[in-house]
Amino acid sequence: MGTAVIELDRVMANEGVLAHVEEFSLTVHGGEAIALVGANRSGKGLALKLCAGLAAPASGSVRVLGVDPSAASDEEILHLRRRVGFVFAKPALISSLSVYDNVAVPLRYHTELPESAIRERVMACLAECGVDVFHDHLPAGLTMGGARLVALARALVSDTELLCVDEALFGLDAGELVRFRGLLEKYRRDKGLTIVVSVNAPTSLFALMDRLVLMRDGRLVAVCPPAEASRVDDPMVQDFFGNN
Amino acid sequence: MIAWTGRKTVEGVAYAADILFLGFLAFKELFSPARHGRGEASRVIVRQILFTGVDALPVVGALALMLGLIVIIQAGLALPQVGAGEFLANIVVAALVRELGPLLTAFIVVWRSGTAMCTELGNMRVGQEIDAIEAMGISVVRFLVMPRMVGTIVALACLTVYFDLVAIIGGFLVAKVTLTIPFLVYLEDIGRALSVTDVLITVVKSALFGLVIAVICCHHGLSVAGAVTEVPQQNARAMLNTVAACLVLDILVSVAFYVR
Repeated sequence: MGTAVIELDRVMANEGVLAHVEEFSLTVHGGEAIALVGANRSGKGLALKLCAGLAAPASGSVRVLGVDPSAASDEEILHLRRRVGFVFAKPALISSLSVYDNVAVPLRYHTELPESAIRERVMACLAECGVDVFHDHLPAGLTMGGARLVALARALVSDTELLCVDEALFGLDAGELVRFRGLLEKYRRDKGLTIVVSVNAPTSLFALMDRLVLMRDGRLVAVCPPAEASRVDDPMVQDFFGNN
Repeated sequence: MIAWTGRKTVEGVAYAADILFLGFLAFKELFSPARHGRGEASRVIVRQILFTGVDALPVVGALALMLGLIVIIQAGLALPQVGAGEFLANIVVAALVRELGPLLTAFIVVWRSGTAMCTELGNMRVGQEIDAIEAMGISVVRFLVMPRMVGTIVALACLTVYFDLVAIIGGFLVAKVTLTIPFLVYLEDIGRALSVTDVLITVVKSALFGLVIAVICCHHGLSVAGAVTEVPQQNARAMLNTVAACLVLDILVSVAFYVR
């Protein structure tokens, strides 16, 4: 097992009245794939942002890739974020830029690669995600699934060490889900990518995960391998897996 | 009443501090040695100049022509009645070049480009695009504010010079129907009345207006918290505050340079 990439220790945090997490502790090691699982409003989205260093805890400690985001300088935060790919539930593509430019943005800002090398890398990444035919389209012309795959390409095009995907299933059709899962498998296998996703329904993605982190009302219910999750003695978990 | 005044004063000071800080950050990014992202910023600057400057040429030209016509006709008819006909050029320079040119051009830019900037950034906030930019480790000021600020400053300075030229020359040519002054004499008078300092102050004033418009409108766009309904509200505040800031700035510059 690799070194700890994410360390959350008794974290409490909230996003207004919309979401909160309480007494949340979790350690994710390098190359691991985990899923934060729970119903809507269970706090998994906020937990995911904490894992990516995008949200600040009210109490407790957070370390992402060895950095404590709440104690880091602006420069350190920017550097940390370059190493973390985050895919929002809404695709959040920059609406005034083409699909190609959206994926090229992190390379243009964080590397000194010439435009020809950027083009090669971006088109390869778009092709992997199956959205290269849309490279000159604006995001408004894409389906939700297509836009989320472009957002995934944008998160993967840099040398990302940690990938966080919010509401991993949102907007993907069956074919896109297969492609999405294949990409996660490939990047994990080939590049040792650490993966954290949040999901609100049982999914075939669970087969890819080392652990499921089951959440309810902002609290951690259980952390277990996917095969054991449906046996966790908790009403939310039983509802989630359709056992009730 | 005292509490209300105190609260409003504190809010006003905090608002001014936010605007100044955003302007400072944008300038810092402009002169940052980091080369990354300069190509992307240059593209936004060019787009901003095209939209704010080139696309506004017809409306600014039409307004300049009509305003020049009004000022020149009124001054050209009224001044000879009080024996001051030879001061037409001085009035044109003082009214059009020093004051109305920069101010009205700035107002057009506020209504066209300021609203566009504020709406675009507000919608980007609602669509989580700004969260995504921050999540990529890209400075929002470097990516969004600085290029818009530079583009607006350049475009507004150029538009103001264009406004002044159209107002002075075009206005006179149209007004010639009712006036008896020969065009070459009028041009010579304008040349005598207009100093290099006037032109420089006009350009500097326009650049300051461009800075104020871009920074205030970007600030309000970025202040949208998440609801679509906030976008027009922030837009309205941005327009009012920008116009007020331009007027205050205009008074300060005029007092600083022209009051002896």
